[in-house]
Amino acid sequence: MSDVLQETFKELQKIPWFQELEKKHLEKLASVTALRHVRADEVLFHEGDKEDCLYIVLSGRIALEIFIPHRGKIRIYTVEPQDVFGWSSVTPVVHQRTAGATAVVDGLIACIDSEKLRKICEEDHDLGYMVMRRLANVVASRLLVTRLQLLDMFAHPESQNAK
Amino acid sequence: MVTQQIARPAAINTEHLLEPQWAEVTSITKEINDVSTYWLKFTDPAIQKAYTFEPGQFNMLYMPGFGESAISICSDSNDHSKIGHSVRFVGNVTNAIGRLKVGDVIGLRGPFGTYWPMKELEGKDVFISCGGIGLPPLRPAIYHILHNREKYGKVTLLYGARTPADLMYTNEFDDWRKANIDVQVTVDRGDSSWTGRVGVVPMWFYQFRFDSRKTAVLTCGPEIMIHFVIYEALARRIPLESIFVSMERNMKCGQGSCGHCQLGPYFICKDGPVFRFDAIQPFFNVEEF
Amino acid sequence: MPNDHKPEIGSTIVIQKETFNAILSRLKEKGYETIGPRVKNDTLIYAPIEQMDDLPRGYITEQDAARFHLKHTGHSRYFDAIPGAQSWKQFLFPPRAELFALRKVNNLWEASTPETKTPSYAFIGVRACELAAIQIQDNIFMRSDFNDPIYRARRERVFILTVDCMYPAGTCFCVSMETGPRVKAGFDLNLTELEDVFLLTVGSEIARDLLKGIPFELASAFLLRNADQGLERAASQMGRKLDISNLPDLILNNLDHPHWQEVGARCLSCTNCTQVCPTCFCWDATDEMSLDGKETHRERVWDSCFNPGYSYQAGGNTRPTIRSRYRQWLSHKLGTWKQQNGTLGCVGCGRCITWCPAEIDLTKEIPMLQEEAR
Repeated sequence: MSDVLQETFKELQKIPWFQELEKKHLEKLASVTALRHVRADEVLFHEGDKEDCLYIVLSGRIALEIFIPHRGKIRIYTVEPQDVFGWSSVTPVVHQRTAGATAVVDGLIACIDSEKLRKICEEDHDLGYMVMRRLANVVASRLLVTRLQLLDMFAHPESQNAK
Repeated sequence: MVTQQIARPAAINTEHLLEPQWAEVTSITKEINDVSTYWLKFTDPAIQKAYTFEPGQFNMLYMPGFGESAISICSDSNDHSKIGHSVRFVGNVTNAIGRLKVGDVIGLRGPFGTYWPMKELEGKDVFISCGGIGLPPLRPAIYHILHNREKYGKVTLLYGARTPADLMYTNEFDDWRKANIDVQVTVDRGDSSWTGRVGVVPMWFYQFRFDSRKTAVLTCGPEIMIHFVIYEALARRIPLESIFVSMERNMKCGQGSCGHCQLGPYFICKDGPVFRFDAIQPFFNVEEF
Repeated sequence: MPNDHKPEIGSTIVIQKETFNAILSRLKEKGYETIGPRVKNDTLIYAPIEQMDDLPRGYITEQDAARFHLKHTGHSRYFDAIPGAQSWKQFLFPPRAELFALRKVNNLWEASTPETKTPSYAFIGVRACELAAIQIQDNIFMRSDFNDPIYRARRERVFILTVDCMYPAGTCFCVSMETGPRVKAGFDLNLTELEDVFLLTVGSEIARDLLKGIPFELASAFLLRNADQGLERAASQMGRKLDISNLPDLILNNLDHPHWQEVGARCLSCTNCTQVCPTCFCWDATDEMSLDGKETHRERVWDSCFNPGYSYQAGGNTRPTIRSRYRQWLSHKLGTWKQQNGTLGCVGCGRCITWCPAEIDLTKEIPMLQEEAR
């Protein structure tokens, strides 16, 4: 293993949801992953970009933002260490970014090449199953958070916002 | 059914039903858009001297002509010189309170209700998870921990609000952090100037390591948030008996008599507002109960 | 028989019916306001009575779901008519009670507590179920950790003359609730009405003193057996029955049962059941302010869990639907009440059935939960 690969492998090993992967699977994942240092305010991608990576935050904080005309950029979610973003790139139908991603502070992220990831998952369905299972979990928790945001828990029940 | 485990306050003896004591507004602190803190002092110094409360208890504040409202006490229970109430202006009574000026008087009865089991929590890790106007009833618990920091293990405050402008007591967070309280803040939505977390309170549980044998979770906030906080706590194998919830209903008499604040067998004003979760679990997911 | 002779506590004596007027007079002499059943506007109310003739002699009441009919049959008995909508609750826990008045003087509020004299009532003709209801309210208003000053002052002064029920009405089910028809304990005097005489059982020292000098004899075994037979017959003639063997669990385990929705659809949320119920204790406090804003009167008034505002708080209404309000009422009455006070909150008087305009009948609703729970 090259030094870079070795370092990537070690970083991935720290992520709890990779810990149950077999070593050969983790090595395969490391081979399609690049580590990337990001600086505060660095834009990783914009809404509408055709960029094709699945990201895992290793340190720092990434904000997902949607621009609303007349209201500006709204931060809808922040991605903290161990969390995943850009997962739609692994799905078969989404071909462009639905939100922008900006680093809030300096940090380190793992960028998994989605096309290569899809390929190694196709070749080895055991690995594919593990990856998709974890991603399903990410999507489910993201959906729950979205629902709770949608409920607007803190709104007064009689205010217009809550209706 | 589990019986209530939280300590009860001493008996309340009233000669005249609902007759309040009078307190003067000594200062008003604007916290956020629709919440201000009213600092009160009994007009009778002897009453002020004798008044004590436990973190998590509430008072009934009375505006003559308008009625009473149950407001939790948000100040330091060690400070016997004044009593703080963070009031959100949402109804008749609270809007009337909102028109008070420094020097005006207000009726006060209390303290009422059960309180956070600070004694029982000694030696434990304390995970405080609250949202919105749920922070005020927990602030006295935080003050208590600050005064007795060595008696508690890891202490975390996970606090959320709708937007950054809705976060309360933010000027105190640094002091709390200095006392080794891990203060983590989140908002439901932010703008580009907000560099903190965006997301809802319960989702951030995954960021913390819990020793389920010695962690107690204290929670207060919108009931729906409490539901999800409890799911997250239970998913981390925190026992029911280590989860404490402050509930809200329309308390009116404060003495378990008028019936309004009932939740199943409990009168929230006297058997609560602070419950050990196992006591209220059977009624927790019953709609409109 | 010597004139200053007093019967022993626990003994049952027999008096001629007309002697009862002397007992009423003595109660009044001792300062009691004598309250009993009276006919007014074709119904039966509880109101001051001066003499036996004020009692509903010769009347019965026919009662069924949403039906109450006061009928004169001309019989010779004074205490046969099963009560109407009113209960004794209104005297111990008044529907309106002034708490205090406040006047604004130089930016401060001065309180003046009303100088009302607490009345001393003598309740004449309290039924076994009604006595049980008073005892249930005692547990609510006179707890170890809370004393309601209004209730307590009245309760401590009250003289209770109970009557055994000989002719239950169509909505009665005190046998199921184990509260009647025989009065067991907690009275000053208990009266059993036979065709020609009254039997009086002495329950307190006050009652003993009251009877001093009244001509009486100890009740014979024959008369006592006569009374027993009457009560046995009454017990077998209950208009309703309710199986309480699996309460409160049946209700508490079925809080999401579809039947609540079904009842909720029929219920008008009119609050009748809670107003006529002799154990319902919920109250609210209201302020009445003068136009210049300088004076306010604070009053306590009866409230009801069926009022939409009852569960309203700044965060919204906890029970916005009639379904949830009906469930609150019944699950409290026949469920959570037990954990609060050690007994169920229902005494089987049947008022909520008689006075419900929608004919909702808890003795029919509970079995619905039972049947479908199986």
